[in-house]
Amino acid sequence: MKNPCLSQKLLERYFDQEASPEERTLVENHLIGCSSCQRRLKSMETLREAIKKPIEKALEKETFPWVWERIEREIQKEYKASWWESFRSWLALTPMLKRKVWVPVLATLIILVGVTSQIFFKKIPSYSEISVVKYVESYDNDVMVYQLEKQKVTVIWVFEKPEMEISDS
Amino acid sequence: MANQKEQDLILRCQRGDQGAFKEIFDQYHKKVYRIAYGMVRQREDAIDIVQEVFIKLFRSIRNFKGKSKFYTYLYRMTMNTAIDHARKMRKPSQLKSEEDWAQFPDTTEKEPDRLLFQKELEERINWAMAKLPGEQRIALILREVEGLSYKEMAETMGCSIGTIMSRLHYGRKRVQQLLGDEFGIKVEE
Repeated sequence: MKNPCLSQKLLERYFDQEASPEERTLVENHLIGCSSCQRRLKSMETLREAIKKPIEKALEKETFPWVWERIEREIQKEYKASWWESFRSWLALTPMLKRKVWVPVLATLIILVGVTSQIFFKKIPSYSEISVVKYVESYDNDVMVYQLEKQKVTVIWVFEKPEMEISDS
Repeated sequence: MANQKEQDLILRCQRGDQGAFKEIFDQYHKKVYRIAYGMVRQREDAIDIVQEVFIKLFRSIRNFKGKSKFYTYLYRMTMNTAIDHARKMRKPSQLKSEEDWAQFPDTTEKEPDRLLFQKELEERINWAMAKLPGEQRIALILREVEGLSYKEMAETMGCSIGTIMSRLHYGRKRVQQLLGDEFGIKVEE
């Protein structure tokens, strides 16, 4: 007794290489003795070729460099990325930044800068800040006047002369 | 997930590297052209679609997150652009009616020249494909021309595998009906 013909959907799955191994065996065994299903399969192959061939033929004739030139012109016309856009895209794409590790990294950096700046920017008074404004010699005492430029402090230094010298004189 | 080399290429494109974008073009333009030509069956329109797809891709590649395969992303874009294009250009008056084709001389009997037969078959295929709804046409192209699996087609077209099988089945059946027996493409129920 002849087996009934395969369903169109099963045959299509087989033709599209989507059938399971069991289905494949079933179809292949059936095809051996069924000329009707062989014709149906052949018909699908012919249709595939008929759809594919003109497209492949058109593709062979086509040259694409000029198509790229047209695309490139269009792209360059509209693409003028600002530095801010570039920066934002870099931020968005850098894998490290995607993982949100940048918050603790940034905090650590700020603390480090704070600590090191204390060392580097420690105020060391220099002599240039101190200037002697005046030195006055007198009979009794010598007087020297200093002035600190930034702190606006004036220091008056009085040198007492030894009494002996006075008595000598 | 795209392979590593492709991922790097896409990342470079996302950073605005036009050299990388040219590499993407070189890699995919033929696939895009095949789908476009399959949909519209006219050289100039197919070229317009290729151009439009790659410009759209350049604008939108930053939105590609790599969750799907890159080629399904690109195929979807091509498919939508081609369907839009085909819809715009499709005017009923431009398509031959079935009566027109019935009057067409049967070249298999009267003209033994194989080339003429091929030419007529091509014209008739173009006509039959143009008669199909966009979804069935794109399904046939993705399967018969690009050789995508049902799963890949479902991802590209955003539907179930069952829907893909149904579109392929009805698409094939309709084209077979329109072409008729003389081309060796028999209608099967």
